[in-house]
Amino acid sequence: MLVSLVLFLGLLAACGGGNSDPEPSGDAGTNAPEATGDKVIKLGGLFDESGATGDVGAPYAEGERAFFEYINSKGGIDGYEIDFIGEDYAYDTSRAQQVYQALRDRHEVVAVLGWGTADTEALRKQIINDEIPFVSASYSENLKDTGSESGYNFLLAASYSDQGRAILEWINENHEGDSTPRVALVYHEGHPFSESPIQDIKDYAASELAGKVEITPDILIELGDTDPQVTLQSWSRTNEEPDYTIINYTWGQTRNVVRDAKALGWGTQFMGLNWTAGEGLIPSGAENQQWVDVLDGYIGVVTHAFPTEDLPGMAPILEYLESKGRTVDDINQKFVQGWATASIMAEAVSIAIAETDGNVTGPDIKAAIESISNFQLAGLGADVSFASDNHAGTDQIRLGQLKDGEWMMITDYFGIGDY
Amino acid sequence: MKNPFVMECGNYKTSYRKDMELFRNPRVKIRMLVIVILLFLFPLFASNYVIGLATLAAIAVIGAIGLNILTGFTGQISVGVGAFLAVGGYASAILTSTLGWSFWISLPTAGLITAIIGGLFGIPSLRLKGLYLAIATLAAQVIILWIIGRWKSLTGGGSGMILSRPTVGEFSFQSHNSYYYLVLVIAVLTTIYALNLFRTRTGRAFLAVRDRDVAAQIMGINLFSYKVMSFAISSFIVGIAGALLAHYTMIVTVELYSMQVSIQYLAMILVGGLGSVFGAILGAIFITLLPVALGYMVEFLTIFLPDAHAILSSFRQFVFGLVIILFLIFEPGGLVHIWNNIKNYFRLWPFSY
Repeated sequence: MLVSLVLFLGLLAACGGGNSDPEPSGDAGTNAPEATGDKVIKLGGLFDESGATGDVGAPYAEGERAFFEYINSKGGIDGYEIDFIGEDYAYDTSRAQQVYQALRDRHEVVAVLGWGTADTEALRKQIINDEIPFVSASYSENLKDTGSESGYNFLLAASYSDQGRAILEWINENHEGDSTPRVALVYHEGHPFSESPIQDIKDYAASELAGKVEITPDILIELGDTDPQVTLQSWSRTNEEPDYTIINYTWGQTRNVVRDAKALGWGTQFMGLNWTAGEGLIPSGAENQQWVDVLDGYIGVVTHAFPTEDLPGMAPILEYLESKGRTVDDINQKFVQGWATASIMAEAVSIAIAETDGNVTGPDIKAAIESISNFQLAGLGADVSFASDNHAGTDQIRLGQLKDGEWMMITDYFGIGDY
Repeated sequence: MKNPFVMECGNYKTSYRKDMELFRNPRVKIRMLVIVILLFLFPLFASNYVIGLATLAAIAVIGAIGLNILTGFTGQISVGVGAFLAVGGYASAILTSTLGWSFWISLPTAGLITAIIGGLFGIPSLRLKGLYLAIATLAAQVIILWIIGRWKSLTGGGSGMILSRPTVGEFSFQSHNSYYYLVLVIAVLTTIYALNLFRTRTGRAFLAVRDRDVAAQIMGINLFSYKVMSFAISSFIVGIAGALLAHYTMIVTVELYSMQVSIQYLAMILVGGLGSVFGAILGAIFITLLPVALGYMVEFLTIFLPDAHAILSSFRQFVFGLVIILFLIFEPGGLVHIWNNIKNYFRLWPFSY
């Protein structure tokens, strides 16, 4: 009995001891926070670098880390160093819960930069309780609510629903021919991310574009279905092929759908939301040319700039890359997206520091974000504005089209607010 | 020093009643009492973060005990725990948020609803064994999550449902400590129930079904009713765990209950020890804390390898898999077997010949 008691106490001591240790230096990418005494502000990060969406999640996380490393090398924000403590949760919602608890209780961060739709939605009630603002890479319309459901969530780009509505407006304006354009929505039913904008897009078509755009029956393909040809074929047995599609997946499944639809002879103009667009849609390697041919003419929503674009906002990124001995070829559009997201958070931190003389808390950051008006990203993304009753920074998007494997912008920033 | 393990010397059982006692001797009873008291005192000297982890571990303990009743004691493999957790969570969400019921009525009701659904999916178990049954329960996982994802009017579809923490009068279980105590009390009750279950007629029938169902049937055990009963009891407890988890995270979405969750729970009872309540507890704590411990390890290693985040992140999953494989190869009896070996080693120490 004694031994078991001693073992048990030892276990407890180990648990307790591990956590009463002085805070670790956190993200190794940043400088040691001890160096500047107590002028440190802690921000948390939830990344997917090795999970189901790691293809886009890893460069996004790298962009966020790079931004804070860059800003710290410039002396931090108003003299305050940012300790950006991030962890990979591998797109596992229950792991996200654990990581979030660690960020909240162990590291006591004042705000979190998150990632996926499912985990962001799963945490939205807790962050209200804990008063920790949460900026996610999910642009789900569910997170727009500013009240009791998701009052501490912020969207830094156009919501998926706004992206879909904007596509409908673009189709309405640019459709050639006399017939009503027929638009098919392609998604995974029951999947929080993929299904998120569908009902809003349908409602918008019914209320604003009745008679101008026709929504066909949905094309339901699961994210894990790597051979969607059968589903497409049975769909086309009872329906005519659509003039346009709005696809909401990430890169891998988008290209499967386009490939199989083209194999069935569809002449559809394929279009998709922001996670379908980007360099990774066309894989490199031996099969590259095959995908360049299949995806030629694909149109995607581009919320943030490509690193190859000549924009004033790229200057600090280039400076950072140069200091690391890297070039723009080593990063992609999702890196820029992560960088831009982090820079908006940095603006909020700067405002909060000015308002509070440095003792920044979660509600201060929330108030700071809500006071941001027309913050310019110098081309890296659409300008954002927030208010206490508006947590969606913008509804502006661009559309890009693939030509010979290269993304070309076919519109300037526009949004449903313009219609 | 007197060897603490040899204190059991001369402890003879002189009646069947004594042989059946839950605690082998008074010292064991005191030991258990001390451990429970320590668990209750735990929040006094632990940080919020540790209490949060302990709460998650305690919820996992309840679920793992539930699964162990089915798989460890009755021998019915189930790969559908994730879905039954979802049923419990969603049932409680619908009862409290949509219908406005009190948490204290919803919690057992959610357990009952899960028990009924679990019992339904247990019906094929009369004809199916082993791998075949595993696939049938896999079907439960797929069917239940499919329905939850698409029955939007009831479950909110992809966006899930929002719950609130339970209340008693003016008091709300909002703080770390209060919810930890709530979960701990239920975990202790579940443990006591499971320990006693296997001293009853029903529990013994479960063991007989596991060891050789044909022989059990010849002895007069109604295989069908006991197998379905095992599914129902197990699902009831898993449903309670699901409801507790849902009220802890205050939200339910389909993705919280993926296949991965089912596999994690199977890993808990395998690593802990099949057919042992203590094993289920150890396994649940081990599997819940393993990613946390590995996270600490990665954090420590990044001090030496600052630019290796991505590599170390996947390394963590690699270690997680490796630990499970090593357990299955070198200690199929699980953590509880290791613990018993240690005890047995010291029992006659230092004269173990």
